[in-house]
Amino acid sequence: MNQKRPITLSIQNLSKVFHGKTERVMAVDDISFHVSEGDLFTLLGPSGCGKTTTLRCLAGFEKPSNGNIRFLGRDFTTIPPFRRNIGMVFQSYALFPHMSIFDNVAYGLRMRKIPRREIEQRVNRIIQLVELEETQKRKPSELSGGQQQRIALARALVYEPKLLLLDEPLSNLDAKLRIYMREEIRRIQQKAKVTTIYVTHDQEEALAISDQIAVMSDGKIDQIGSPDEIYEKPQTIHVADFIGQANFLTCSLVKKNEESVILRFPSNETVLLDQNKKRTSACDHSKGLLFIRPERLEVTPVLGKANSLKGQVKRVLYLGSQVRYYIQIFQQSAPQEVLVDKNRRIKDVKEGDEVALIFNEEDTGLFPLE
Amino acid sequence: MVNGLKERFDKIEFIPYLVLGLALLILLLFIAYPLSKVLLNSFLNAGDVFSIQNLTLTNFSQFFSSSLYKSALMNTLLVGFLCVFFSCLLGIPMAYFLARTEMPFKTIFLTLGTLPLILPPFVGAYSWVLLFGRQGVVNFFLKEFFGFVLPDIYGAPGVVIAMTMSLYPFVFLLTYGALLSSDPYLEESATIMGASRWDLIRTVTLPLVTPSIAAGALIVFMRAVGNFGVPALLGGNFYVLPTLIHFQIVGFFNLHTAGAIAIVNISMVGLAILISQYVMAKRSYVTITGTTQGAQVSASKTLKWSGILFCSCVIFFSLLPHITVIVTSFTEGWSGTRYPTKFSFENYQRIFQIAKTPILNSLFLAITATLVATVIGTLLSYIAVRKQFHGKWILDLTVMLPFILPGIVVGVAILSGFSSGLIVLTGTWMIMVIGFFIRRMPYIFRSATASLSQIDLSVEEASAIAGASWGATFFRITLPLMAPGILAGAVICFSTLMGELSTTIILYSAGWKTITVAIIEYLFSATIGPAYALGTILIVLVLSAITLANRLLGRKMSQMFKMV
Repeated sequence: MNQKRPITLSIQNLSKVFHGKTERVMAVDDISFHVSEGDLFTLLGPSGCGKTTTLRCLAGFEKPSNGNIRFLGRDFTTIPPFRRNIGMVFQSYALFPHMSIFDNVAYGLRMRKIPRREIEQRVNRIIQLVELEETQKRKPSELSGGQQQRIALARALVYEPKLLLLDEPLSNLDAKLRIYMREEIRRIQQKAKVTTIYVTHDQEEALAISDQIAVMSDGKIDQIGSPDEIYEKPQTIHVADFIGQANFLTCSLVKKNEESVILRFPSNETVLLDQNKKRTSACDHSKGLLFIRPERLEVTPVLGKANSLKGQVKRVLYLGSQVRYYIQIFQQSAPQEVLVDKNRRIKDVKEGDEVALIFNEEDTGLFPLE
Repeated sequence: MVNGLKERFDKIEFIPYLVLGLALLILLLFIAYPLSKVLLNSFLNAGDVFSIQNLTLTNFSQFFSSSLYKSALMNTLLVGFLCVFFSCLLGIPMAYFLARTEMPFKTIFLTLGTLPLILPPFVGAYSWVLLFGRQGVVNFFLKEFFGFVLPDIYGAPGVVIAMTMSLYPFVFLLTYGALLSSDPYLEESATIMGASRWDLIRTVTLPLVTPSIAAGALIVFMRAVGNFGVPALLGGNFYVLPTLIHFQIVGFFNLHTAGAIAIVNISMVGLAILISQYVMAKRSYVTITGTTQGAQVSASKTLKWSGILFCSCVIFFSLLPHITVIVTSFTEGWSGTRYPTKFSFENYQRIFQIAKTPILNSLFLAITATLVATVIGTLLSYIAVRKQFHGKWILDLTVMLPFILPGIVVGVAILSGFSSGLIVLTGTWMIMVIGFFIRRMPYIFRSATASLSQIDLSVEEASAIAGASWGATFFRITLPLMAPGILAGAVICFSTLMGELSTTIILYSAGWKTITVAIIEYLFSATIGPAYALGTILIVLVLSAITLANRLLGRKMSQMFKMV
């Protein structure tokens, strides 16, 4: 999926400090990343994590306090926004309310002094690409949210920028439309073959459309990787927790050699993990958290298997497309609830039953504590 | 290539700062400099040059020694407070009736209730004499049927009545707006807990709109203590500070004593602002309205009919003076007779022979000043909203300062600044345009600022990212989006300048008499016919400008005054 393409955008040691009345806020704290040509690169994180500030530094609306941005070999930092040749879609779309759809889309071309005939052709072509040919003469206020969204995208792409910035473009749409539009954005981005930076707080959206994702918190990047890597092999507790649902089981490492490690849980149950398959290198700590996704856990009424944990089903929640089991483990010592997601009800398992939890060690991660 | 880009970048980012510099220069030269000259003058004896040992308090000592000064000071305060009191008495119930009862013809009441703000107060003021004066029509009937007459209208009663009737809309409109936008659920929950209608008004409704009432009352007070025309016409021996200033300038051309009076007049306004700030801070509540549902409207028949009666009476009496002006302008006269006599166009024929120049002067001055104020006010508002820099509050304060200053004080300031020294402009039209421009720029500034703050910053950013320079973005995106706000401000600016008297009376020269000066001169010499013909022309001009703007903008008249 991810053949090596040349890197076009590189961000080195970027920082942005905002000076408030009394305090300094480190909005972006020394981040670096590289984006390959034609990739859709997502900055993902909760609000206030610095993703939008990073994007605005790329656009040129914020001056970085430190670090540099290079795009296609040029230093971006000193170039004003209107000379950067970037396309951008804003969270509020920012369509010009006093102009028709055609004029909105043609705006960037007019600024580039393109001949009128060519403007018409190119606007028509891009409006066809977003499938809104019939709206050209209307005003933005006469369009639905999804249509405005697509026009904003067309307006950003019509002058064929080398870089496209998308700032939470789907956050104003309702749930169904959001899913449809994210596929549209991916389709159009692939067709235009434009390097794209996408900012969102919605992890599902990020997983669905990105080539690469950078997960951010507190102005820093926690992890950069493909959607699979981010979901399956989170490198920090924060990433594991922020993306999807996660179970963290407290445990201690009792024995460690070259090949394997034994985890002891508060209930004195133990599990043997093959060290070679482990992702976390730091196993020399005595305490840790075992990470596992709810849908990767198996539940069986048959007790006493190897590498299994005993628990009791506390609640079963029926959610339609899936069934969620709340299973309490370590009941005698330090009770803890574990989520298990199944796409249908498990036979012979009801609320109150004693069950065994089984997991594959490939599905787990181990985070040292302290 | 990179160098070339950098140069262009620097050039473009330079423009906003150039604008900022220019704006600051204008503010310094036309506002800060004249006002500091007034301050300085007030502490110097006439003829003295500035030095530390020359500083004196003589100019202020009159307020302790002269009974004329003492009474003028007390009279001004009296007029201010009485006008506030009566404006609240009329404005608050009217706002309540319109916002909270099922009254018919609300739009008409609202529009007519706004009218007194546009019509220059002094034009109608003399009508009170015609109606209720010693020779007036009311006394005529009272004497005939009841054998007694009203007390003399000249002095405090006339001044307070005439001012209140033209200023109460400030309280009315601000209270009305607040009543419309307050959270209906608060009242509903009070009702559920057992509050009667009167309890509700007393415990919830009125306390919630107190900040707006205070804001309206403040404007009324500022206008009342700074008004020149009304006390000049109806005061008689009842002097207030603005008429005293006029007396000092016209009688003795003493800018030093006039400056001292002006400083006292300004401090009065300052004190009022402090008091209202205190009231607003204590009584300010943030109400979060998560609903588009309007406030509860009472269906009570009694309330409805008392509303109609009350509002009709208030509106009738507030417009009566202007109606009298228009009717009388078509007659030979209406004094000492039961009804106006001899309907004809004679007054109009006369003024078109002798008073064409003032009309043209007024148009020229008002249009020029409006254009200047529009350009500079718009740029200033752009800088104030969109640019981040230290000491921004100084910009806001300087621009808005003339808004709170009495018109006659602005006149004194401009005269002090430009009658001697580096720039001498006395006797020219320019000095009048400067006075008009700084006095009315706040209207444009506020209205442009209001519409600019409505524009999402990302719309401008979208334009920049699409390749538009600062200038292109400003002219293609920002300005067109601000246009309705600017136009509304400009129309208010123009119409109020057409009826401007307080600043004009200090700055005009023989060759640059305005329509308002001509009117007041005719009125002083009791030449009612031509005065009212000119007054009618003024009223028609102002109303047509406002109506045209309403048509263009698709707004209601009461909305146009929201920001003023």
